[in-house]
Amino acid sequence: MKNFHIAIIGGGVIGSAIARELSRYELDIILFEKESDVASSTSKANSGVIHSGINSPPKSLKAHFCVEGNKIFQSLAEELSVPVKFTGKYIIARNEEEIKDLIKLKKNGIENNVKGLRLIEAEEINSNEPNISSKYALFVPSAGITLPYQLTIALAENSIINGVKFLLETKIIDINNINNKYNIKTNNGLFKSDFIINAAGLNCRDIVQMLEEPDFKVYPCRGEYLVLDKNCNSLIKKLIYPIPQKKYGFLGIHITPTIDGNILLGPTFEYINNINDTKTTKEKMNLILKEVKEIIPSVNEKAVINAYSGIRCKISPPEYDRISDFRVENSKINPGLINLLGIESPGLSAAPAIAKEVVKIISKNIELSKKTKFISKYEKYKKFSDMTNVKKSKIIKRDTNWGRIICRCENVTEAEVINALSNPLGAKTLSSVKYRCRAGMGRCQGGFCTQHIIRIMEEKFNLDRTKIKLKSQKSNLFIGKIRE
Amino acid sequence: MILIKVTSDVTVIGGGPAGLAAGISAKESGAEKVIIIDRNNWIGGILPQCIHDGFGIEATGLSQTGPEYINEYIKKARNLGITLLIETMVLNFNNKLEIISASKKGLLKIKSKSIILAMGCREKTRGNLIIPGDRPSGIYTAGLAQALINLYNIMPGKNIVILGSGDVGLIMARRLKIEGANILGVIEILPYPNGLPRNVVQCLKDYNIPLFLNHTITSIEGKDRLKKITIAKVDKNKKPILGTEKTIKCDTLLLSVGLIPENEISSDAGIIIDSSTGGPIVNQDYRTTIPGIYACGNCLQVYDTVDLLSIHAKIAGRQSAINTLKENNNNINYADKKIIVKPGNGIKHIIPQQINITGMINFSIRVDEPKNSTKISFKLNKNEIFIKNLKYLNPASIINVKVKIPKFSKNNILEVSLNE
Amino acid sequence: MNEETNITCILCPIGCEIRINKKELFIIDGAKCEKGIEYSKNEVFNPKRILTTSILVKNGILPLLSVKTSKPIPKEKIFKILKIIKRTSVNAPVEMGEIIIQNVLGTGSDIIATKTIKKFETS
Repeated sequence: MKNFHIAIIGGGVIGSAIARELSRYELDIILFEKESDVASSTSKANSGVIHSGINSPPKSLKAHFCVEGNKIFQSLAEELSVPVKFTGKYIIARNEEEIKDLIKLKKNGIENNVKGLRLIEAEEINSNEPNISSKYALFVPSAGITLPYQLTIALAENSIINGVKFLLETKIIDINNINNKYNIKTNNGLFKSDFIINAAGLNCRDIVQMLEEPDFKVYPCRGEYLVLDKNCNSLIKKLIYPIPQKKYGFLGIHITPTIDGNILLGPTFEYINNINDTKTTKEKMNLILKEVKEIIPSVNEKAVINAYSGIRCKISPPEYDRISDFRVENSKINPGLINLLGIESPGLSAAPAIAKEVVKIISKNIELSKKTKFISKYEKYKKFSDMTNVKKSKIIKRDTNWGRIICRCENVTEAEVINALSNPLGAKTLSSVKYRCRAGMGRCQGGFCTQHIIRIMEEKFNLDRTKIKLKSQKSNLFIGKIRE
Repeated sequence: MILIKVTSDVTVIGGGPAGLAAGISAKESGAEKVIIIDRNNWIGGILPQCIHDGFGIEATGLSQTGPEYINEYIKKARNLGITLLIETMVLNFNNKLEIISASKKGLLKIKSKSIILAMGCREKTRGNLIIPGDRPSGIYTAGLAQALINLYNIMPGKNIVILGSGDVGLIMARRLKIEGANILGVIEILPYPNGLPRNVVQCLKDYNIPLFLNHTITSIEGKDRLKKITIAKVDKNKKPILGTEKTIKCDTLLLSVGLIPENEISSDAGIIIDSSTGGPIVNQDYRTTIPGIYACGNCLQVYDTVDLLSIHAKIAGRQSAINTLKENNNNINYADKKIIVKPGNGIKHIIPQQINITGMINFSIRVDEPKNSTKISFKLNKNEIFIKNLKYLNPASIINVKVKIPKFSKNNILEVSLNE
Repeated sequence: MNEETNITCILCPIGCEIRINKKELFIIDGAKCEKGIEYSKNEVFNPKRILTTSILVKNGILPLLSVKTSKPIPKEKIFKILKIIKRTSVNAPVEMGEIIIQNVLGTGSDIIATKTIKKFETS
């Protein structure tokens, strides 16, 4: 049986951020992810927003971690070569009544230490966002956007470089506490660890239950999105939010520019029974379009190129009329079991700060010594499509695979696909490629590049075509050959 | 030097049937240096994957398979000394007729006297239709499935449903059936099949494949691989009728729901796109709104047969060559005189959208619904200049009509409509 | 007994709806050309089709060779011929037009290559 100091369960943004933060220290760390890649659930299917912290109740962990996380987001993203853009956000009032809500929000924000909040009027709104019709808005300069899956992937891959072991497609079957050391049974063998970090997201209760009776339940709450073609990118520059619904902490269907130039519409808000039920529905798609058209009348549904949904991990029931808070705590019954519960929005923004908090909790229990050789920088090539002509020419001279474009919509090159498939995690699904280099993410949604990616997988990585997967373990793409 | 710089008389973007026909015609019409650029590592576009027969009947009387049909063109292009650049992707071009493309050799900058756009089209995806449900594996566009099975020896699935009765979908129903798949049905939202009648017969009826007209998919299920879909009847407004839902267990769904002309680089260059064709606005010479740039093939309008596509592409090629031979190229004087062509009642789209000369003009017309018999009328400034009886009109087929345009002055409107 | 039947001609993209008398084999109406008349008469008792599919290629730059029957073959023989094709493989190089299987299943039709496939040279 292998011994580790720390076992992290869950390769979402929280688990990966914790892995990376802990990899600064002389520790043996292992991370278990049940899916075929990191960022396979909530961490890939969200708005990609770096929140300011304005919406969370004062003194809550949500407010604290969000504001702290926001502060360090830029430097973290720069270290990891993950794009961020602090676009700022407009929370808009659609009538006089809602202006009162804006004032309340501003007050709440100031209490949470959110900087630069300013109420603005039609003239300023129109000059910056001509497609929005609104008389008043609250300007939140510290809100921004990032690519949540790329951040998670970069955190995970940088952790591996710093010695963390990642096991994909590894499900926790059982955990036993033996004198406050933990035996972990998985489908990939037995492991022993001093600490267990429960970052299992929607599955967090199942992990707790393996060791103690949980004092909470998970209430999965689905949010659906629509993605607009890049040719709509001039619609908005900032994040455009309506006034949040007072209950539940639902921010409302908003309009979000993305780093790559698409626009996201959504999410909806719907409690569901099954944590895996990430389907999309006609009803919610129509609702999104209807609500967005109230904010931007010129939005055209013909520009929709994709739809998806993600699931929030809520730990308070639907009838509970306050915003529930994050829980970041060391179990009293099972010391060393560190639970991260109910990490829904603004979990992405909070992740860097939560990771630091977990280090703090661990350091109270064992002495941590810093590695002399922590590699904080995770360098990645710039996207071919973002390079200047001179750069493009030079890189093609160095490696001709940069001159072979295989994704026509995003101008992704063969070299970028090869790099994506050579990732240190060993993730080799079609989605792993897509989330690392954008091949297949454009307007044709893989119609052209799929055949080329399959060719590269077969020729350069010796994958068997019947085993090539879309994303999950059983999501095989093909059944075989037509002639053998 | 960083960029490889090249000059050319005519540069064709896209080496499919349209690009080849246009390039050959340009060369034969006197353009000295002709370059055809294609992003794939072969020339011929999608025809090498269209291994079924039925190509070229209208033009030659012979029914050829896709690879055979395109082989003639490739041979001819080679014999004429046309430069064929494969694995080369055009990144952008501008109104000075400079093209930047990328290949393994590096970045290439081509300065041309004429450019012909022949980028083809792409298939609509699930996202374009906004079909709700899960997002499992096993959902492919019909054209991708065709490439997988015919070029790469890959069998995508076993129990297959096809959404959309366009020609590619029908052809794929037969192709997969022949290879041992169960085709559980072809689902069409319209009250009539969207593909050619002969394909309904030889692809569906021959193999007893059920065709569900007035139906659509309302849900997709499967966490990993596709497990089942739900279909429902639709009403007149194409909305699903409650209570008519039926589930079909399947592992694969092919989408054959329409094609979108590829013009992102055209729009970026400032070429004006017609929202009804999805392609550039052109005049009688297939010249776009930028002088010196011509358009043909499926990026101009989605054609139903390669025959008509080639005929039109050849005209574009010839005109592009004439343009290069003029002293002051890029500045052909079309005068200020022009006719704006407007689609009227019953007409989905019409090409050309602008006319600058008098005489015989070739119009491509698509109607918006099937009609057994009707009259088509051309009215220049409200005066009828042409009328013709048409039979068996089908939105799947482009109608080609020749009309003599009389002398005209200043700005004019030509309205084309169907009369009951 | 109804002696009339409708046949959709598959010879060209027009797809004429041809009305034919099944017993006497005469065309009532609908055919726009001679070939269509011939086709619809055959279609009543002896429907034939061109079969197109692929054959495995060894050592080629492509894995599959596209092929067709040189003449239309009886419809009911399609799957029998496919069985033979699935068992067959060819070695590259292959030229377009090359006969791969002669007189397949005694139909008088050959299976011919519709693509040229070069040999894969390892460099």
